[in-house]
Amino acid sequence: MEELASRNKIKFDKYRLKKLVIALLPLVALIALFVAYLIILNANDYNVSMNLKTLLNQSIVLILVATGAIFIFTLGQFDISLGANTLFAAVIGTLAYKASGNIFVLFLVCIVVAVACSLLNAVIASIFHLPMFVTTIAMLSVLTALATFLIQSEGTASGTSFSITLPSNLVNDLSAIDTPAFKISVVVIFMVLMIFIFNFTKVGRKMKFLGGNQNCAKLTGISVSLFGIIAFALAGLGAGLGSSMTVVYAHTVSTTTASSIGMSVFIAIVFGGMPINGGARSRIYSALIGGISYNLMTNILFILFQSMQGVRDGLVQVISGIFFLAIVFVASINYRSKNLPR
Amino acid sequence: MKISKFMKGTVALALAGVALAACSGESTEKVVKVGVLVADVSGEEALGFKSYLQNYVAKQYNYEFIYSPQIESAEQAKSQAETFIGQNCKAIIDMADKNRGDLAKLCNDNQVYFAIGSGMMSDEDFAASKSLEYFVGQIGPNMTTEYETGLAMGQYYKDAKNVTKIGVYGAFIPNPMHLYRMAGLLTGLGDTYKGATGQNIVFTVFGDGAQFDASNIAGDVAIDYCAGFDNEGAIFATVGQIIAKNPDAFLSVGMTTTFFADTLDGAGVEYSDIDSFTSANGNHMKNGSLGYLAGKYSSSLGPVFAAIKSAIDGKAIRTEAGEAFSLSQGYWTAKSSEEFEKFQSADSVENPIFNKTLLDSLIGLSYTEFVNEVAKDRTPQ
Repeated sequence: MEELASRNKIKFDKYRLKKLVIALLPLVALIALFVAYLIILNANDYNVSMNLKTLLNQSIVLILVATGAIFIFTLGQFDISLGANTLFAAVIGTLAYKASGNIFVLFLVCIVVAVACSLLNAVIASIFHLPMFVTTIAMLSVLTALATFLIQSEGTASGTSFSITLPSNLVNDLSAIDTPAFKISVVVIFMVLMIFIFNFTKVGRKMKFLGGNQNCAKLTGISVSLFGIIAFALAGLGAGLGSSMTVVYAHTVSTTTASSIGMSVFIAIVFGGMPINGGARSRIYSALIGGISYNLMTNILFILFQSMQGVRDGLVQVISGIFFLAIVFVASINYRSKNLPR
Repeated sequence: MKISKFMKGTVALALAGVALAACSGESTEKVVKVGVLVADVSGEEALGFKSYLQNYVAKQYNYEFIYSPQIESAEQAKSQAETFIGQNCKAIIDMADKNRGDLAKLCNDNQVYFAIGSGMMSDEDFAASKSLEYFVGQIGPNMTTEYETGLAMGQYYKDAKNVTKIGVYGAFIPNPMHLYRMAGLLTGLGDTYKGATGQNIVFTVFGDGAQFDASNIAGDVAIDYCAGFDNEGAIFATVGQIIAKNPDAFLSVGMTTTFFADTLDGAGVEYSDIDSFTSANGNHMKNGSLGYLAGKYSSSLGPVFAAIKSAIDGKAIRTEAGEAFSLSQGYWTAKSSEEFEKFQSADSVENPIFNKTLLDSLIGLSYTEFVNEVAKDRTPQ
């Protein structure tokens, strides 16, 4: 009997250790990638501070949008319209900023529009009893078309696309806040708020429950529609902040603005250790870790394959894809247990 | 155990990468690096420029031209420019045309030279940027040149080909470059737009909020119009409908050789375009139905490089007012396969028009001398 108990204890310890290792793996990978990045920058005699600034600029919007999106992923849902939402909010925000000349208006309009669009997704899904990702597919087309129409009506043709560009006095105002300190502050405030909601309120706990087992959650009286609406609203908040930061950085908005965000969000979240099915093991900091890791990896690959310019871009995409699959595979080791998530 | 293997593999991969990077760092120490921002990574014109820079100029001058991935948005362009700056590039050549005014300022703030290698900045952006110390300038067809190129094409098809019904592709109108070409084309054909002719067509379109409506075109030559700003399916469907009407020719103010050359070759409809002298276009002219091409040649980027090298060498070419220059450069026009081959053979990667001897003679010139050299007609006779 004692021997059996001892064997079970060893099994349990092993299980806990494996769980801990897998939980820490994204952070370890981030640190490893960061160290490798610094070594590579130094080996090539690159400007380290400029590269870190670039990394920050590349990651900010992705982290903001992805952090909001975590709530949707936790429910086991997927929002494919996040990129289009970011674009549409940026367009309306830019027009409002152009009209008012007030940066506060830019942020406010971007957030209100993005939250409204995101809520519309959830409400439509709720009314018509559709899977939420289905409404997001429709919303992707609608928002892209509306944004394109507005940009073509209000913007000017530049190169092969239209864009709405801000006058130089407004650009100067934006440049004043386009600093690492401001961007980091925005991310920190947003992350603290999201971590609080996700880890220390009933909202976060119920969402994890819903994502883990929707039927069980329903039987305990948790409303799928209500928490779906809350998740989409929070995702909208992330998209709104992301769209404002895009305008602050680029000073212009075109039909191709935020075009890669939708897919990057998904990749970044998975890179950060988020289970692809959501549920109890969802982690709010996945977006932060994954967003930076993903950009670090891409930057490292671009430097390593610099000399192979003919095939470089394709090669980076292929290797990124292989890494993505490898990460999903390693992360899924933890889900294969027959035990319920603890 | 599986995790351990995975981690070992990751560490091994990282170490290999570091070793690779360390090796590449040593070998490229003295090379002058120049970043090139591109929106088009596969077009014939873009590949021609790339081949000239990487396979000729880089070897002659110990320069390295680092190409960006495909730039699709202003934020990507800015991020990539920052990446180039972080890689210690001494200059950036912009061929992506995404918020150039902002990029000029970014480069200036970081003491990296910035030059435009394809297309021109808007007048407002150029006025705001020309006094920046690190903005070298721009060389390309100006709007008058664009207008005259369209005009010549229209006149040729009206007078020499006697066309009466044609298809026209408007590319990215109201992009000013394409709109000026269209104004020239319509004028050359003897048609009017809302009663306007010449460059007044441009002002009329901009007066209407930059909306180009083909139903406003009137004249002896009947035109079926296809706009480029639409979804891909609709554009191809419109071109198909135009071809079905069996037009005398399909005239284009840009991008037709990239998108519709095979379709038009297959239908046997003669077409024209404003593009560049590349092997694919040569093939369309020899074996297909491309009948008229006004184009750039790959080494026409040479003066931009010469200006950048002058600046890096401390002999920057500035206007009398000490500002960045804006110079126009014309197109060559081929109306037959023989003419095309003559142009193409005159500007190969092995023996470009702007070869080392000519480039050396441009580096460090005064502004006036540089203007005269760029303005010289180098069309092969």
